[in-house]
Amino acid sequence: MLIQILNGLVYGGLLYVLAVGLVLIFGLRRVVNFAHGSLFMVGAYVGYTVTAVAGFWAGLAASVCVLTVIGAALDRFVFRPLQDEDPIVTMLVTFGLLLVLEDAVRTIWGKEFLTVQPPAILSGVVHLSGTSFPVYRLAVIGVAILVAGGLSLWLRFSRVGLYVRASSVDPLTTGMQGVDTDRLSAMVVAIGAGLAGLSGTISAPLVALSPSMGGSILIDSFVVVVTGGLGSFTGAFVAAMIIGQLHNLGVVFVPAAASMIPLVLMVLVLIWRPGGLVKAGA
Amino acid sequence: MIRIAVFLFAGVAGALLPALLGSPLLLTLLTQAVINAILATGVGFLVRQNGLVSFGHAGFFGLGAYIVAVSTTNEWMPIGAALLVAILAPTLLALLLGAAMLRLAGVAFSMLTLAVAQAFYELAMRWRSLANGDDGIAAQLPGRILGLDSSLFQQAGSMFVICWIVLMLVLFGLSVLIAIPFGTLTLAIRENEERARFIGYHTILPRAAIYALSAAIAALAGVLFALYNGFVTPNVLYWGLSGEALVMAVVGGTRAVWGPALGALLFFLLKNAAGDLTEHWPAIIGGTLILVTVLLPRGASGTIALLMQRMGVRTA
Repeated sequence: MLIQILNGLVYGGLLYVLAVGLVLIFGLRRVVNFAHGSLFMVGAYVGYTVTAVAGFWAGLAASVCVLTVIGAALDRFVFRPLQDEDPIVTMLVTFGLLLVLEDAVRTIWGKEFLTVQPPAILSGVVHLSGTSFPVYRLAVIGVAILVAGGLSLWLRFSRVGLYVRASSVDPLTTGMQGVDTDRLSAMVVAIGAGLAGLSGTISAPLVALSPSMGGSILIDSFVVVVTGGLGSFTGAFVAAMIIGQLHNLGVVFVPAAASMIPLVLMVLVLIWRPGGLVKAGA
Repeated sequence: MIRIAVFLFAGVAGALLPALLGSPLLLTLLTQAVINAILATGVGFLVRQNGLVSFGHAGFFGLGAYIVAVSTTNEWMPIGAALLVAILAPTLLALLLGAAMLRLAGVAFSMLTLAVAQAFYELAMRWRSLANGDDGIAAQLPGRILGLDSSLFQQAGSMFVICWIVLMLVLFGLSVLIAIPFGTLTLAIRENEERARFIGYHTILPRAAIYALSAAIAALAGVLFALYNGFVTPNVLYWGLSGEALVMAVVGGTRAVWGPALGALLFFLLKNAAGDLTEHWPAIIGGTLILVTVLLPRGASGTIALLMQRMGVRTA
């Protein structure tokens, strides 16, 4: 049972790191990035290639850096020119990007499954109440906690964090108060994409890499973002942890219907609280 | 009256097409195109009347197809009842889901449509005893379906005519719907839901009804797909299909009811023309989607209407 809960935390952690990037981007640009799962996948592949040459830690760093740059470009060349359009237009464009990125990855790396070994220092197992659990998985939970803690401190206590929270509640008024929302949003989208890269690379040793790996986690992170409350950072954390657990328990106990459980939960939450679990900006 | 004449003409003209074409390969392609045109019409109608983008209509399409396959294989009910359930069950599901999901902003709604469809995809993949997972399931069709010989549904020539007539009936129904007060009401809600509420209308139910109707059209397309192919795999529930249907609707333009259907035909002609490049098909449709959304937001039908207007021809 303990093992199941820990596995749920691992998946919840990965989901959180991905979903919080979506929340950050939504807060600034009021759009949903459908290509976020593809950024996750590109992160995993970049991590794979650099790991093969220079080891896991270099792969992790390279992946976060590359994705941060991609994120800044995404904001500059997609979100910014389209900011006055209907959000549906941006959504369709990012969906188009998703298809293009998936095809690009398939062309470069092929469609065979690829695997990444965890770094040597994290490759053992720990013994917990009679069963063993991989150290690497514990480290993934640790990374998610660090990201959550770091982000909340940054959002709570830094000036930029204050701007980001303000913009999540009302971007127009925030701009009128003299905040340069374009610069802010370039930075925030870059961070969001960097987090997608981070989450892609740390998940690489846990799963097999394939060009379609971004799809299912994107969908789960959508459920997380909406259930938590669109634009809410705390909500994303709470929802990711709940859905991580449910997903994992579902796979173990009712494998046939596992995918229905988060969905039912989400519909119930939306009937109970149409705005999601936590208010935007919190 | 003019509307009836236009649809009668289009229906007869299309039904004569197989006799003129003679090429079985092209006919197979066109039959697929028309089935997809019905699906795209459902997706496009939701955009037109509700201003909502669905990334999950493959869910309703696939559910319709799977109900036909599963219920005929297990002999749960006679074929007529199976076809009815295959269309009504997804419609009812959409009505219930819509009542819960339509309270959200458009963007969140779109995210959830994707999640709902994907949940059904996973269900079909994992529930091996019922849906046979990845391998798919064959529909055991009886000899006669609704009084017609079942082979008529499986040959491209005759199935094209059946699907074409269905498409024309759907388009005719929708063109009537947008002209009656209910159509105007849903447009008013799309433009400003709050004001529509101030005037005294309930807004959730009409929007849910439009969502359910567009799901019913998608399920109808799924039923035709199952009858034509006689075989259903989880691919019919995959988000890739939802995405393709959306691309068809956007390329065709959603302002005209017939725009998405035109988009579907263009989509299949492009796919045919792409030939050897089909390996990179996702990138091609992704690129097309980006270009059309940014450069040609009215889509093909909107552009045609604009050109005709400039030349002084009045369009409906």
